Amino acid sequence: MEVWQLILNGLMSGTILAVPAIGLSAIFAVLRFTNFALASHMTIGAFAGFVANVWLAWPVVPSLLAAFLIAGVVGVLSDEFILKPFRAAGFITTAIGSIALTIALENAVRFVFGNELRGYDLPIRRDWVLGGLRVSPQQLENLLIALAAMGLLFAFLFFTRTGRAMRAFADNPMLASIKGINADMVARLVSFVAMGLAGLGGMLIGLDTTIDPLVGFKSILTIFAAAVVGGLGSLPGAVVGALLVGVGEELSLLILQPAYRSAIGFLAILMVLTLRPRGILGARAY
Amino acid sequence: MPGPTRRALITAAAAASAIAASPFPSRAQSDPIKLGVLTPLTGAGGQDGPRMLKAMEAVIAEVNKAGGVLGRKLETVIEDDQTNPEAAVRAARKLIEVNKVPVIMGTWASAVTSAVAPVCWESKTFLCTVSGADSITQLPHQGYLIRTQPTSKLQATAHADFIAGMGKKKVAVVGIQAPFALSTKEHLDAVLKTKGAKVVAHVIYEKDKATYRSEIDQAMRSDPDFLYLNGYAPDTVVVLRDLYKANINLPKFCQSYAVPQKTLDTIPAEVSAGTYTGQPSADIEGKAFKLAAARLGIAEPDSYEAQATDWASLVILTLAKAKEATGTALKENVRKISQGAGEKVWSAVEGLQALAAGKEINYEGASGPCDFTEIGDIEGCRFRYMEVVDGKLRFLKVV
Amino acid sequence: MEHYLVAIGVTAGVYALMALGMNVIWGMAGLINLGLVGFFAVGAYVSGLLTLKLGVPIAVGVAAGMVTAALVGVLVAFITVNLRGDYLAIVTLGFAESLRIVMSNELWIANGTDGLSGIPGPYRAQLGPHLFNLFYLAIVVGAVIVLFFLVDRLVNSPFGRVLRAIRDDDVIAEVAGKHVAVFKIKAFAFGSAALGLAGALYGHFTSYIAPDLFAPLLTLYVKLSLLTGGLGNSKGAVLGAVLVVFFLESTRFLAPLIPGLSAVQAAAVRELAISVALLVILRFYARGLLPERIEPPALAAKGAAPALNRI
Repeated sequence: MEVWQLILNGLMSGTILAVPAIGLSAIFAVLRFTNFALASHMTIGAFAGFVANVWLAWPVVPSLLAAFLIAGVVGVLSDEFILKPFRAAGFITTAIGSIALTIALENAVRFVFGNELRGYDLPIRRDWVLGGLRVSPQQLENLLIALAAMGLLFAFLFFTRTGRAMRAFADNPMLASIKGINADMVARLVSFVAMGLAGLGGMLIGLDTTIDPLVGFKSILTIFAAAVVGGLGSLPGAVVGALLVGVGEELSLLILQPAYRSAIGFLAILMVLTLRPRGILGARAY
Repeated sequence: MPGPTRRALITAAAAASAIAASPFPSRAQSDPIKLGVLTPLTGAGGQDGPRMLKAMEAVIAEVNKAGGVLGRKLETVIEDDQTNPEAAVRAARKLIEVNKVPVIMGTWASAVTSAVAPVCWESKTFLCTVSGADSITQLPHQGYLIRTQPTSKLQATAHADFIAGMGKKKVAVVGIQAPFALSTKEHLDAVLKTKGAKVVAHVIYEKDKATYRSEIDQAMRSDPDFLYLNGYAPDTVVVLRDLYKANINLPKFCQSYAVPQKTLDTIPAEVSAGTYTGQPSADIEGKAFKLAAARLGIAEPDSYEAQATDWASLVILTLAKAKEATGTALKENVRKISQGAGEKVWSAVEGLQALAAGKEINYEGASGPCDFTEIGDIEGCRFRYMEVVDGKLRFLKVV
Repeated sequence: MEHYLVAIGVTAGVYALMALGMNVIWGMAGLINLGLVGFFAVGAYVSGLLTLKLGVPIAVGVAAGMVTAALVGVLVAFITVNLRGDYLAIVTLGFAESLRIVMSNELWIANGTDGLSGIPGPYRAQLGPHLFNLFYLAIVVGAVIVLFFLVDRLVNSPFGRVLRAIRDDDVIAEVAGKHVAVFKIKAFAFGSAALGLAGALYGHFTSYIAPDLFAPLLTLYVKLSLLTGGLGNSKGAVLGAVLVVFFLESTRFLAPLIPGLSAVQAAAVRELAISVALLVILRFYARGLLPERIEPPALAAKGAAPALNRI
């Protein structure tokens, strides 16, 4: 019974992590660099949602939408004006630049909101016990929201012209440009969606805990690991990676003390990458 | 030269040379005394540094309004230690060598304090800290360090008494990894055993996680009847929420700095119900504590706010006593005003007045009697316990 | 003020040593090492433990720190030799984080989160703090100069040329008959030794090390040093390190100039200023202030993604 509870816990936490992990992989797929600024966009989304939910008294779902939209807009702007000029210098420079950017944005949030812990205006409910396993209604809600977001994303990518154009561009940028797909528009769109997902993820994490300017930074390593395990650039891979990392960390509690969770996580990553150096679903698979 | 004029001239000359020879030459008499503050304003400790700073600045403002110390105003020079030892050491060097502060107050993380302490004692700068690692006062600091936080032995003993007093027999200790983690658990266990109780589980979790369900499950497996939560505010909040969700309604003890009122306000009242907390305290009436509460406009200042109040007050009073603003003067004179047979005072302003009247004083602080051992630990203190009722901290008792 | 500058100079020197080491691993061989702080920790802990617990002379301790770090580097390189780009990054990052977690929780190794206090420094007691700092500055500057020449010779040696070839296109290098893996491992070992040296020197300077010191933040600062100075370039590495430390420290004096800020806001402004300054340099000197004289071929092609995702 204990093992199943751990697996359930891992699936729940993994699904939440999947949301920003998809964002990271999406940016990698199209723009070919690891955008660490994801961390600060998670924070921005979480705080945007906080302002909506607590200061403007909006209910949770519109606040989540606000988190997505604001983080997405900031994502487009930050990519357009700060990271895009780095692309000519190579992917590493852009990635390192994204780290400097994330520190800057985190401190912008700190400047406005300070370091205090803040909570959303959400009633807290006891767990439900289903078949001997405990799950909280909030976890289930988060799961549904995450699944809905992912579903919408996949629908967009597969069933809309713009989405198909983005996938074409990610697959083969030169060919896509020849066919008239505008590289800049694709870049902006991917930044919007990816950072929007980051913001959504940030708020989802915050719904069950508290938020402060470090909320994105605290999860970024796990998210990065999840995306890499699944195969950077692969969106389904990001989901698989996040679930694996989530469940892996939980199951590790069977053998090791909780203080070593992250270390086990990294060990698991090493094992996966040794067997499949490109991550589970490889470099690019839709 | 006529008599009175010569006498006047000699008096004037004597006065002039006295002023010139004094530690505060007349041209610098209006220079403010700079007190260094090194505290976490960013990083993991970012919630705690600003609170401590506010407490210190409140004391300093009050003293400045009453005329300052030795005719000079007090000023803070603030640096962020970023909750990182490497950054903290650089910041400390700047405060010491550039701003030439005689004292640095406010380090929070034990690793930061251990890193900064050698820089301080080598440059003869006085250091005041809340860090809980027992090893800190064991360092060869030659008296340049005082810590207002009780040792883990002192604290765990008191807390164990409290828990046993509630009739609890099986305590699960759940917290972060920190220098005081193991020693707290061991002292708790030792004292509980003398009362027919014991520690049944010790779970150390990682900071920065969004949920601790599994860690809590692990602790609950040994069937405890009481939970001792030994973490900081961000993770303690997550644990409290997870406990509620898991329908675990055991009474729990949190450190007072983990659940200050501001943090309790972010969680629903149902979640914080059944939480007890305690902090070091001076005396039953808690005069200094009440003054600090009034000064800060908070009903129940937490442990850190109380300690920061005491640092500022102790330093100010020592400066007045020593009539000199150097780290060495602070080291040599702090115990002359913090303990002993002098008249008890409960605030810096009160103490300054008494000193001006030529009396000996004994400062009794908001966080304890503030009597320091040779190595800078507090000799002992009472503990002030509170219960969280309806989301608010409510005073229980002082033991 | 001078004493402060001397102490900051030592810090800049330690950063420069790390940047030079990373220059070989990353600038020359193109291997992303996000776990550099882990090798720094190995050097610091080995030297610290040997000199503190076993009374070993400091020079021996430092040498042991370097050798151990190099060996760990070989191990990590061996494990990761087939990984590319961001995959290598996450594994090296994982290594550093795991090391930090182990050191924090296994108290018997080196006191866990309590850290090691009282690490001896050469002639510390006899010189007194200010002279000691000056003496140490001389040591560190000496180390930087020696390492600089070593790296420079490496850059211009056949070994260096092969490394750059591997960086730019390792398939071709392999085809040309070079054992890519061996070269990568050697480069990693050399760089790790330099990182270990930096760590050991840091420990003996401050007399205290703890797991919290080895945070990813330090990795970032060193990376930024390399980039701002110019990747692949030793002079650039040193210049970049000095510049980063300059930004870290000079921004302290910035916030008091802006009135009406709370302490937290001032701290936030400082960190903003540091990251903005580095972004500006990256932006306008995208190849670094002292770009590599040897033009790397396909690296900076605009828009086109190289078929092999290596850097």
